[in-house]
Amino acid sequence: MSAFLAILVVGIGTYASRAIFIVALAGREIPEKVLTALDFVAPAVLSALVIALLIDDAGNVSMGWPEASAFGVGAATAYKTRSHIWTLAVGMAVYWAVRALI
Amino acid sequence: MSLDVTTKRAISRQAVIDAIPLEIPAIPFALVLGLVITESGIDYLVGWSSSPLIFGGAAQLTLISLLGSGTAWIAAVAAGLVVNARHVMYSAALAPTFQRQPRWFRWLGPYTLLDQVFALVSVRPEEEPAALRRYYLTAGATFWIFWQSVVALGLVIGPVVPTEWNLAFAVPLMFVGLIVVGINKWPKVVAALVGAGVTYLFAGLPNKAGLLVGAMAGVLVGYLIEENRR
Repeated sequence: MSAFLAILVVGIGTYASRAIFIVALAGREIPEKVLTALDFVAPAVLSALVIALLIDDAGNVSMGWPEASAFGVGAATAYKTRSHIWTLAVGMAVYWAVRALI
Repeated sequence: MSLDVTTKRAISRQAVIDAIPLEIPAIPFALVLGLVITESGIDYLVGWSSSPLIFGGAAQLTLISLLGSGTAWIAAVAAGLVVNARHVMYSAALAPTFQRQPRWFRWLGPYTLLDQVFALVSVRPEEEPAALRRYYLTAGATFWIFWQSVVALGLVIGPVVPTEWNLAFAVPLMFVGLIVVGINKWPKVVAALVGAGVTYLFAGLPNKAGLLVGAMAGVLVGYLIEENRR
């Protein structure tokens, strides 16, 4: 139930972020400084998430060679191909391969 | 102004044709999301309900992964909301276009304002309102049906995948891909590195609260660099 409530809250918040200017504030400008900050939300939050998802129950970041090499090769693949499918395929392959080797 | 049937069909067909190439890259996201729901311990139907209720892959993956890994409820919700904050920019960018639309569409349209729909519609600001509405609704509906079905497919595949594969690692890996593709200026690289580094330093905070500290630090540093470049 609490999971559903979390989904509902994020759902309402997501709709609100998509609707706010279209429904309510049409014609008003977002201050330049806010736009500048919003532009950095995606890289900052996503990279914080990458680390947060590797934190184990003891509060340690479980990043070894398999994770680090998969991120490195995955980032290079994303840069070269701009394709999520290739990033996923190559990154996971590296992750499994390195994990099997050590 | 109403459109004749032939024009309507042509617009709808164009919207579907435009949407498909943008859906293909989203397939792994939807499948991984389905898998993550099956591994999170959250009821399948509740997990799947995030697709129609949130309808945004990155926020859904964030929320479900964090809830499944024992993050505090409030931190998981905050992270999910922050991930989707970029939509405010889309809303502002399309507001003038929507001004010429009927009220019902101004309320309905934002529900399907995905990254992809924004990308398709933002390049057609001059289009006649009825035609734009037709295009937007068709593209939105195409993405909606696609997303709900492929996430459901991921739920079916999920239990079949052996847990030793640790497919949950696909989530941070996908986020790395998203960061790289989204970088269009060097301060964003710094923002990403600071976001990751600070989260690492604060990893010991309870309930993964370091996530929010890292995210805020990344935005702040990016903002300060950008302000000083002017």
